[in-house]
Parts: sequence; structure tokens; C-alpha cells
Amino acid sequence: MDFRGILDRLKTARVPGLLGADEPRDPNPADKKDKGRRGDPFVWVEPRELPAFLERCRDDERLRFELLVDLSAVDPSKDDPNLWIVVQLLSLAHRHRLTVKCTLPKAEARLPSSVPVYRAAQWHERECGEMFGITFEGHPDPRNILLPEDWVGHPLRKDYVFPDEYHGISCK
Amino acid sequence: MGLLERQFEENVLTTKVDWLLNWCRLSSIWPMTFGLACCAIEMMAVGCAHHDIDRFGAGAFRASPRQADLMIVAGTVNFKMAERIKRLYDQMPAPKYVIAMGACATGGGPYYKYGYTVVKGVDRVVPVDVYVAGCPPRPEALLEGLMKLQEKIQQSSVIRRPARTA
Repeated sequence: MDFRGILDRLKTARVPGLLGADEPRDPNPADKKDKGRRGDPFVWVEPRELPAFLERCRDDERLRFELLVDLSAVDPSKDDPNLWIVVQLLSLAHRHRLTVKCTLPKAEARLPSSVPVYRAAQWHERECGEMFGITFEGHPDPRNILLPEDWVGHPLRKDYVFPDEYHGISCK
Repeated sequence: MGLLERQFEENVLTTKVDWLLNWCRLSSIWPMTFGLACCAIEMMAVGCAHHDIDRFGAGAFRASPRQADLMIVAGTVNFKMAERIKRLYDQMPAPKYVIAMGACATGGGPYYKYGYTVVKGVDRVVPVDVYVAGCPPRPEALLEGLMKLQEKIQQSSVIRRPARTA
């Protein structure tokens, strides 16, 4: 199925949490400031509903996304008050893909964990947790995965300040 | 060397004894089996038949720091690893030597500016004898570094008192 077909199925099956879709489009020739949009289509999803959304995507007979390819986060800008969660799904049975995005406020970056739906999300969520300071509620093992346990700050945030030293070793 | 170390004035006998001791040391530098990143692949190439580090008596890669004389820091050092490197260095018996192999171990390399967990040179953690340039260095460059280290060992004084500086 192509993106339109997946989107229709998501709507007819009443998958919870779906907010809308974003598709690439050509620039409007009448408006010179409009540059259009490139890239892949994706769907916006309510973050509180993300695990329920993913569960329906996995179990629906027409969608059957068996595989969570990636779950990552983006800090789009220093001035943006939101973070994004980006999830890539793949269906081996139907040979189609879907990109799912959520926005999370930086001040209150928490959402329910997707590990009960896809166990592959475990390490991805740990990485998002340490790199962006996102809390995944209900994660079975929320330790740091790459950084030392006592590391201060979240390095992939745009407002991250580099430390001066770590355990007596200069960082400059 | 215990009681004999740095006890004697410079004369023909002590010079010859020192020469012998240094020759023993530089002819059997046993490195530690220890690689951190892509430089370790070049280090493995140095150990294989084509480049053959055994020609210099340094082919016996030891799996324990307690049997090793030389630590080749081959790759990117991050803060999590730096503390382990310090511990491994402390476990090596003296005399011990360190080669910083490649740009990362020398000064952070490509991670110098934005690498938030990369140590900007392993010399902030352990003392380094020889720096080998390259990213990663060719096997010949590491052999050159090893020969430089041998030259350095040849210059060292074991039972002689070190030369006074004015």
C-alpha cells in the first residue's frame, strides 16, 4: 500500500491518536516565497496515544507493521518549544513503510513507553532518554545506554552546554 | 631495578651496563591487546605477516596489562573509557610506555569540537611517549612510532644518575 492507502486505512479503522498527515508538495507558482516541501510523507500522532496507535498499526490485518525500524527524537531549533519523536515502521507482509511523528513540549518531555508493543523500542527509548532528556513512562530499564551513568545534561539538545571537566579530566 | 637504580656516576662500566639493559628492554616491547576504534584495524595489520611487528620483538600482544610493557592507544578515547585506560595503565609494571596512535588519541581528532564525550587527547589521562600521526595511520607509521620509542629507550639511563641540568 502507498501512503494514501495507509492513511485511508488508519482513518477507516479509527486508529486512536491520529492527528493528521503531512505530504510533500510542489511549490505554488503564484507565491514566490512558497518553496513547497520535499521528503517523505508522515502522520502526526498524539504522544499520549502513541503506544495504542502503534499497537493498532501492528495488529490491523491491512497494515501489519511487524517491525519497528527506528524510534528517535529531534530537537528542531533552539527557539522551538517542542521536541519531535520520529518512529519508522515497516511491514514485511505488505511491503510498505510508515513514518510517525509526535511533538512533545521541552518543558514536560514525557510520554508512555512503546516497549509493551515493540520490544525493539527498548534501546531506542533509552538512547532518546539520555540524549534528549525524554522520560518514557513504564520503560522496564531506563538507564543510560551510551553515556556514563553520572553524565550531566542531554548532549543532543540544542541548548546543551559542554561540561568543563568529567572526573578530573578536562573537556576543553 | 630496585637498589641499583640511578645510583652510579657515569663511567665506562655503567654506560655499558645501561646499554645492555636498554637493549634488552627495547628488543622485547610487549604491547597490550587493546584497540578502541578503526586504528586498531591498522594495528592488527601491523601484527600480521605483511608488516610483521615481530621483526622488532614487539609481536607478543599480551592479554593482561600485568605482562605488557607498551600500551598502544589505538582509537577514540571517550570519558567512559578514559577511566578504564587509566586503570589499565596503573596495572602495567614499570618500565611502561604509551604510544598515542592516530588523530583521536593524540588530540581528539575529528571529534575535537563537537564530540561531547571524547577526551581531547589521551595525554590528559596517561603520559604519552610517542604520538603517531594519521587518521588512521598507515601500518608503516606505527612501525616508525615503535622505532622512535626504541630510540627513546636507548637514550634512557637505568643505573646511571640522570645528567644534571644547569
